[in-house]
Amino acid sequence: MAEVQDILVLFQTTPGLDAQVVAWSRYEASKGPGITDLVEEAEPPYRNAMAAMRDGWQVIQMSEMKHRPPGDAAYEDGPLPYQTVLSRFNPMVPDEETAQ
Amino acid sequence: MSEHLLSATQMAQFVASGYLKFEAMVPRDLCDACLVEMQHNKGYLAVGTPFEQTWPKGTALGDAFRLPQVRGLIHSLVGPDPLYDHHAAHLVKGGVMKGPDMHQDSVIDFRENYFDIQLSLFPADTPDEMGGTFLIPGTQFRNVRTSEITMYQHMRGKIWANCTAGTMYVWNTRVWHGARSNHTNTDRYMYKLRLNPTQPQAGLFDLSDLDNPAVGAALNTNHGWEGNEHRYELMRRVQLWRFVSRQPGYDIGERFLRRREYNPAAA
Repeated sequence: MAEVQDILVLFQTTPGLDAQVVAWSRYEASKGPGITDLVEEAEPPYRNAMAAMRDGWQVIQMSEMKHRPPGDAAYEDGPLPYQTVLSRFNPMVPDEETAQ
Repeated sequence: MSEHLLSATQMAQFVASGYLKFEAMVPRDLCDACLVEMQHNKGYLAVGTPFEQTWPKGTALGDAFRLPQVRGLIHSLVGPDPLYDHHAAHLVKGGVMKGPDMHQDSVIDFRENYFDIQLSLFPADTPDEMGGTFLIPGTQFRNVRTSEITMYQHMRGKIWANCTAGTMYVWNTRVWHGARSNHTNTDRYMYKLRLNPTQPQAGLFDLSDLDNPAVGAALNTNHGWEGNEHRYELMRRVQLWRFVSRQPGYDIGERFLRRREYNPAAA
């Protein structure tokens, strides 16, 4: 069975790999091309990126520290500020088993 | 009217969390009639016109959004004479699944001391498996471009409508939200109405409990996703609270707004 890349993105409010996860997303290509029925999850799959690394996930991107603009613009809010992208290869599930 | 105004504590909850939930807001028989009308919903009415003039009369939906308790809610948040912005009968048919759907409505919006409201009426019992609308409380100060936040599939603090017929949510239109899968065989409706203020949104609610300690506690709410951002969120909430409560010097705790405002050298 061919192995394909799965991606896990952990979103954080500080950039470190030991930072608390406040949001998370899965791009599991091994299971199909997208999520058609999002199942609710009360807790993230790992408490932080390092816990995911200990479960075989490889970090392929970690966040850089942000430089803030001077003055009041530094207080403007937007998307969550930091994220860690992790990768793991898993056996591809044939399409007929995924219902995608 | 005054008996239906929001209390200061409720208003502080709205400022902090961006939404309030009211069960049994619309009687069940009126809900049943609304549900029939929703199934024949047509497009927008005249966007940006006075609500009272534009909103249909002599219909179930016309009556539902004119109930005294709904008028009080509207008055508290956008004043007694709001503008009709738009409405929609959101439908997730029975058995229709939804993938990631988090978004912020309309377009990016930086208006200070301003918010539109959206009233969301659930006209039928909406249990968990029916896929009621989800919200991420407290995200109303974070401007993003519509659906780019669909990338956030799961987020701490997420809530969703799981309610009986006649429940109404009122929410700041900037709150991140989306639709969920309907795992039943019954179609699920949510009827939304967006309104704009026509006056500054200051002092419109019941101000008699402004000194209630619950106000500060509500403003300081941690919904679970804020993390290191919580104090920055608190500053935004306090800024809006100052305006809506007509207390320009209000602050709580360490009084973070002093870090922007107190500077003898600038006097």
